[in-house]
Amino acid sequence: MIEFKDVSLVYPNGTQGLKNVNTNIKEGEFVVIVGLSGAGKSTFIRSINRLVTPTSGQLLVEDENILAYKGKSMRKLRTKVGMIFQNYNLVKRSTVMKNVISGRLGHTGTFKSIFNLYPKEDFALAYESLKRVNIEEKVYSRADQLSGGQQQRVSIARVLTQQPKIILADEPVASLDPPTSHQVMKYLKQINREDKITTIVNLHFIDMAMEYADRIIGMRAGEVVFDGPASEVTEQTFEEIYGRKIREDDIRGGKEEDEQHS
Amino acid sequence: MEMNMPPKPKRSSKKLVKRFIISISLVALYLWTFLSINDIIKWDRVFSERTITNFDRVIPKLFSPDYASFGKVMEKMVETLFIAYAGSLMAAILAVPFAFLAASNMVRNKFLNTLGKWILNAVRTFPEIMLALIFVAAIGPNAFAGVLAIGLHSIGMLGKLYSEVIESIDMHVVEAMEANGANKIQILFYGIIPQVIPEFLSYAIYRFEIDVRASTILGIIGAGGIGTLIVISVANRNWNEVGMILLVIIVVVTIIDYLSAFIRKRIV
Repeated sequence: MIEFKDVSLVYPNGTQGLKNVNTNIKEGEFVVIVGLSGAGKSTFIRSINRLVTPTSGQLLVEDENILAYKGKSMRKLRTKVGMIFQNYNLVKRSTVMKNVISGRLGHTGTFKSIFNLYPKEDFALAYESLKRVNIEEKVYSRADQLSGGQQQRVSIARVLTQQPKIILADEPVASLDPPTSHQVMKYLKQINREDKITTIVNLHFIDMAMEYADRIIGMRAGEVVFDGPASEVTEQTFEEIYGRKIREDDIRGGKEEDEQHS
Repeated sequence: MEMNMPPKPKRSSKKLVKRFIISISLVALYLWTFLSINDIIKWDRVFSERTITNFDRVIPKLFSPDYASFGKVMEKMVETLFIAYAGSLMAAILAVPFAFLAASNMVRNKFLNTLGKWILNAVRTFPEIMLALIFVAAIGPNAFAGVLAIGLHSIGMLGKLYSEVIESIDMHVVEAMEANGANKIQILFYGIIPQVIPEFLSYAIYRFEIDVRASTILGIIGAGGIGTLIVISVANRNWNEVGMILLVIIVVVTIIDYLSAFIRKRIV
């Protein structure tokens, strides 16, 4: 579904983001990219929806080279690739509903979206998405009244409303505490299973990678240094990827608690 | 117990000399200024009997306003408020496109960006009173000239403040919208406007507050409002009426300031 063919990316300041990356991600896979910060995880993920543009090679999404995309075709690509961010990136002053319905922007005409004239099905879909991440009671709250974990769930609901074929998550749990992190990962995994959405997640916690991934791709200095099923991965594999001993802050720990407050 | 004092700061002799020269020149400057006052101001005229009788004639009248003229004064004050309101409303809307042009995170083209900043700077350079002179000459001595003068001048300040608000928004939100396939106009309405509207409104109200004060003076050159009345009353030496005008201005401006602060606190 997603195929990197000798993809490299050099940033204008000379930093090598990606270096001859070759990999193939199949439909419905749950892939976790691991690596230290600066290893190229973000660049890898952001290449897939062209938030950054690789400087050489070919990147195929559904058998089309997306590096040639511009304007309209790029927006079309982005409608089928949803993204979740470390800092949730919600419009803080808007309601949860307005944030979630903005997942439909790519599917809706400019005029209709400005005047909030979405079809009924879209509102139903948005509400359904909120229900799937158990936050439907906050539908008319302002986004800034929610906790970090709740905001991340809203941003998952936004992506669900987009009905993408691929979900990219760039360090989705780095700003959350351990129980909330597990909760967010659990929702991502569940969505991946139920909707068969190909999911690619950046993480640097090795225990979470091992727990949730089908497949782990390890990166260092812009290169893929490991690629294999999560079942084959041990702590030693991570030490090889990271190029150093595993430390305490590489492990998230904690288990999901029963939801009491949310 | 022995105390461990911090080391004394090092003072180079160069610095000392520099400081000495600066202080000497400052003292000299002040002495020269105050000593030359005597040559220009004729103190015996300032403190003459005539001044005192003039004061006696004017000041008490200012403090006993002519309440009978309240209706006339109030009418002109309302006109002043309307001038300020129309002017700031005009500016609040017209400043938006300039603000986007001048915001460096919206317009990536350096040339256009600098052009936008320059336009706003240039507009702000002209004082309202000068713009009003131009408009009075162009379209005649009426309130519309005042509205245009206030409006044009306010665009400069509001545009500048708006563009700073736009530059401080969370661009990650914009990135998130880009990532889900929204086009530029949708990003504007969903990602940018919700972030800037409260500050925009707050600044527009603040500017209205300034414009009320500014437009009281415009009538002096015939651009409508309460200033015209001041000129007429002063020319007639009708100090009771001037007192009334001042009283009305003070009360109305105070009320507006208070209301504006109250509303702005609730918006943001």
